[in-house]
Amino acid sequence: MTEATVPHRYHPTTGTGGSRPLRVVVFLCTWCSFSAADKAGTKRLPVPAELSVIRVACSGRVEPTLVLEAFRQGADGVMVMGCHPGDCHYQSGNLQAQCRAVLLDRLLPQLGIDAARFRFHYVASTEADRYHHLTTEFVQSLYEFDTGAS
Amino acid sequence: MTETHTTAVIVCACSGCLGEAIDWDAVRSAFAEHPARPRFLFDELACAVDNRAALAEKLREMAPGRVVVMACSPRDHEETFRQILSAAGINPYLMQMIPVREQVAWVTRSRAEATAKATRLLRGALDRVTIHEPLTPRTVPVCPEVVIIGAGPAGLQSARVLLRAGRRVTLIERAPFIGGMAVRFDELFPSLECGSCLLEPWLQEILQAAGDGRLQLLLQAEATRVAGQFGVWHLTVRQHPRFVRTDSCIGCQSCVAACPVRTADPLAPGSDRPAIAAPFAGAQPGAPVLDPASCRQLQDGSCRLCQEVCPVPGTIDFDDTVRELTFTAGAIVVATGAEEMSFLPDGWGGEEDVHTACGFERLISRDGHTGGELVTAAGESPRSLAIVQCAGSLDPEGTFYCSGICCQEALKIAGIARRRVPELAVTRLVREQVVPGPAASTLLQLDESAVVRYGAFRELRMVREEGERTIRTDGQSVPAEMVVLCRPHVPGPGTREIARLFRLPCDDDGFLSPLHPQISPFESARKGIYLAGSCREPGTIRDAVASGSAAAGLVLAELVPGQELVIDPQVAVVDNAACSGCGLCLTLCPYHAISWDEEGRVARILDILCQGCGTCVAACPAGAITARGASRAMLRAELKGVLS
Repeated sequence: MTEATVPHRYHPTTGTGGSRPLRVVVFLCTWCSFSAADKAGTKRLPVPAELSVIRVACSGRVEPTLVLEAFRQGADGVMVMGCHPGDCHYQSGNLQAQCRAVLLDRLLPQLGIDAARFRFHYVASTEADRYHHLTTEFVQSLYEFDTGAS
Repeated sequence: MTETHTTAVIVCACSGCLGEAIDWDAVRSAFAEHPARPRFLFDELACAVDNRAALAEKLREMAPGRVVVMACSPRDHEETFRQILSAAGINPYLMQMIPVREQVAWVTRSRAEATAKATRLLRGALDRVTIHEPLTPRTVPVCPEVVIIGAGPAGLQSARVLLRAGRRVTLIERAPFIGGMAVRFDELFPSLECGSCLLEPWLQEILQAAGDGRLQLLLQAEATRVAGQFGVWHLTVRQHPRFVRTDSCIGCQSCVAACPVRTADPLAPGSDRPAIAAPFAGAQPGAPVLDPASCRQLQDGSCRLCQEVCPVPGTIDFDDTVRELTFTAGAIVVATGAEEMSFLPDGWGGEEDVHTACGFERLISRDGHTGGELVTAAGESPRSLAIVQCAGSLDPEGTFYCSGICCQEALKIAGIARRRVPELAVTRLVREQVVPGPAASTLLQLDESAVVRYGAFRELRMVREEGERTIRTDGQSVPAEMVVLCRPHVPGPGTREIARLFRLPCDDDGFLSPLHPQISPFESARKGIYLAGSCREPGTIRDAVASGSAAAGLVLAELVPGQELVIDPQVAVVDNAACSGCGLCLTLCPYHAISWDEEGRVARILDILCQGCGTCVAACPAGAITARGASRAMLRAELKGVLS
């Protein structure tokens, strides 16, 4: 997938753009970031509707090829979130995830995908606001991306 | 799953919490043609205790092949719905849950968007759940046996309490004797009782239990590997050879008298000992220990005198070797202790008659090489003794903390020294003085030492004035023919090693951190590992005994015989045919759950240790490891579903 082939997407709030909304996949570890996503709900903080959450036990479960598969299946952006360093419920899976994120940052451009379409973040279970901000900002950046690319 | 199977989609309204956020008719119509053949079951409040039986009955009648639950977060009720499925005769792992409440209805403003999102997530769940496989948890009984590491007062007390409750205990000790630091000292704070006399009944109790099989005593031993969890720890212990069988030795000491070798005694500086000897007089067990580095037989095979005089054949065994032992225990008590910082700081070392507090205590001990007489290196009765307290404590160049016990030790030493040499001029150089409690305060009241206050340890200077050694501070000269430095107490090498091996969190100084310093001081951060004695912080014998009792009490309360551990079936499994044997996963697993199968040359995962994080699954270059319940195929199916 190259930038040139990404169609100009439908914007769900303005109703402008192409035929369908952006599709964003977020892999969340069950203990910290998935819990933060739940708490965003409890606090009624808006989260972009473009997001599809896939829950995994640990961010360390997300192999780089799974992220690539998401792009292959047409995702416009992919996020992986894990516990903060030192907080991983599986001791060090989040650090493996961080290593893989660095790998992906270098690998994605070689496959014609802008590395900015992939993000890795540490999100604690208490950080519902941060989850709201990170996801909103990411989806916003993807829209701007598309506008800029078209 | 055959085409005839249907998928039940339980939609929970959460008592109206979801409101009109999602247009369920639109969701339903989007799946009219889906191959998973979803059949929607709308429920007002599926989790309600009164509703569960009815819902299970409905599912039983419907007999779906798979179930999707669109409700609250799986963090809230995944277990509830698994139980409902079980009650309906459906394997609870043939289910996928979508948090439409927290992650759709409550965070999405437009109904159209929420409906579209719910539709997308349902497509992902249906595609994924189709390839779910039934899983069955395995149960294993907890092992009620307890391992105690460290046989000082804390570990001994833990062992005594556990033995009284009928638990089988394995006691691992690095030294060749039990009793820890306490038994090596002649006069203990505060009542100046003899350490080995005080603990003698305990030592006999432990050795008796070892003799009749209630306790496994492993001396000269150290844990080298640990894996597992609360209820089932697997330990590997390396035991060094003693060359003397403790079970048959009668303690006659004939071998000691026969040994022609003389070698430096590590516990009594300045004196020597035979190659075969007790570590110190009164050490228990009483069987001597052979030092392989100085024994002529072990060095060049030239002497068997000890074996020849030994009245019990087979007791002295020159072929004794290092042993590796493995065993299982349900709980571990760590009681590896602390020690006085043993080196002397710059400017103090290399001088005669300058000792650490513990070194000085050994020197004046009645079983020491002077028989308890206080003499200088020249063999003369000293005229002055300077005791420097806080020698390296509360000091940026030493330890920032106060060990809390050295003031008491200093008061004790001052009193003993003056009794040995009545005309001795004793001066205590004090920076801060910590003497809490009645016992310490009494010693303070009785203390006759001169007291000199000083500001910083690095400003103290040991100088010679007119042939006499003095310590100069702030213009004052303190006579110091003999000097005792009360050095900080630091974690012993055993404590550091255990922290590394068991991956237990430590504070900046290497003491093991409790789960919580105030409310869980005797539990470590890892369930099933308890902390006793001064591996937590420096402490007195009284502290050690108290914490030893507490740790044993916690073990008895938490590790109950007959309990069963349920092993989550959602673990990683290796496909032997696909495993290339690269070994990458072996180093990655944070739980040491993966071992190397030498015969098959593949990695093997022990389900009891695996926590299901999936780090190895993601890392396996051959894709040979599957996370049960979250396989690569499942995640990809879900991904495809939410993106199509």
